[in-house]
Amino acid sequence: MTKAKRIPPFLLRLLALSATISATIVLVTSHDSAEVLNMSFVAKYSNSPTLKYFMIVNAIASGYSLVLLFVPSKSLLWHFLLVLDLVITSLLISSISAALAIAYVAKKGNSHAGWLPICGQVPKFCDHVTGALVAGFAAVIIYFLLLLYSIHNVLDLLSTAKA
Amino acid sequence: MAPEVGEKPEVGSNKVPVKDTKGWAIRLLPLLRLLAFFATVSAMIVMALNKQTKTLVVATIGSTPVKATLTARFQHTPAFVFFVVANGMASLHNLLMLMLEFTGHKFDFKGVRFLMMAILDMMTVGVVSGGASAALFMGELARNGNSHARWNKICDKFDTFCEHGNGALIASFLALLLLTIITTISIIKLQNLHYSINHSVLP
Repeated sequence: MTKAKRIPPFLLRLLALSATISATIVLVTSHDSAEVLNMSFVAKYSNSPTLKYFMIVNAIASGYSLVLLFVPSKSLLWHFLLVLDLVITSLLISSISAALAIAYVAKKGNSHAGWLPICGQVPKFCDHVTGALVAGFAAVIIYFLLLLYSIHNVLDLLSTAKA
Repeated sequence: MAPEVGEKPEVGSNKVPVKDTKGWAIRLLPLLRLLAFFATVSAMIVMALNKQTKTLVVATIGSTPVKATLTARFQHTPAFVFFVVANGMASLHNLLMLMLEFTGHKFDFKGVRFLMMAILDMMTVGVVSGGASAALFMGELARNGNSHARWNKICDKFDTFCEHGNGALIASFLALLLLTIITTISIIKLQNLHYSINHSVLP
């Protein structure tokens, strides 16, 4: 296995690590407060269970990426890591989807349920969370590409190694 | 022997059709797919028919209560719309895979069929997990509200709506679990196929 074939997955994992870590950090440092008609509005990510879930899943995914950077390319562990890759990717997809649903309610509100949008009151928080969501979405795309690479790694599809 | 880019995998070079030597995969996989199909179809239908109308007292003018008729529909929330669409796509995928299982040996797909099935299965797992979790967290918001954002809970008034949503969510998560198992079995099947042709020894 030439060294050239090992570089793209390694680079992708590095990119995935950076995407998930930046999503986590940007979300954790989002904070804003506003005073509206003597009501104090403090917006933190921990006020919403969805954003907490998003943070936890991205933290798990970045830890997973970090550990996988050190696994050698041709070991038999990849057969098991394929399924783990699938699980982590689907967790990331679920976290970004839930966070986007809640962010939509925060930005546009839901008139049928009587929920007012809060982005007008805490714009800095909303921008921060938007940045974290963009990083999370990029992480999802990169993880999906990594999943395809894992299949290629396990099945060795493009080589003609015939006995 | 340099590998050619874009060449189909070697599993298809033989003209001899390879049959699964493992009996359990032949019978288990269609059964799991059937179960997953029913789960996604039921999740989609239960959520699509989710509607509740209720007459509530919204204000009191003097001593006469002002009543308003409010309807809770699934279309009011984009998360539930995505849930219905995602489960619809997943049930279509499951139906297609079921038909392929029974009629696939008539067409000569040259082994790419198993690879495409595995990849499409993975994509369906992603789509269903996205839909289910968006609906789950939206439902959690409806049930508990969010005091920090001044969003009131609505499940105490529209209880049937929430119950039906619960049922649809449970069906969808069951489908997600089944689809993950199906994907794992597909990948194992693909590995066995690949090994049995390329290395002529079963692992």
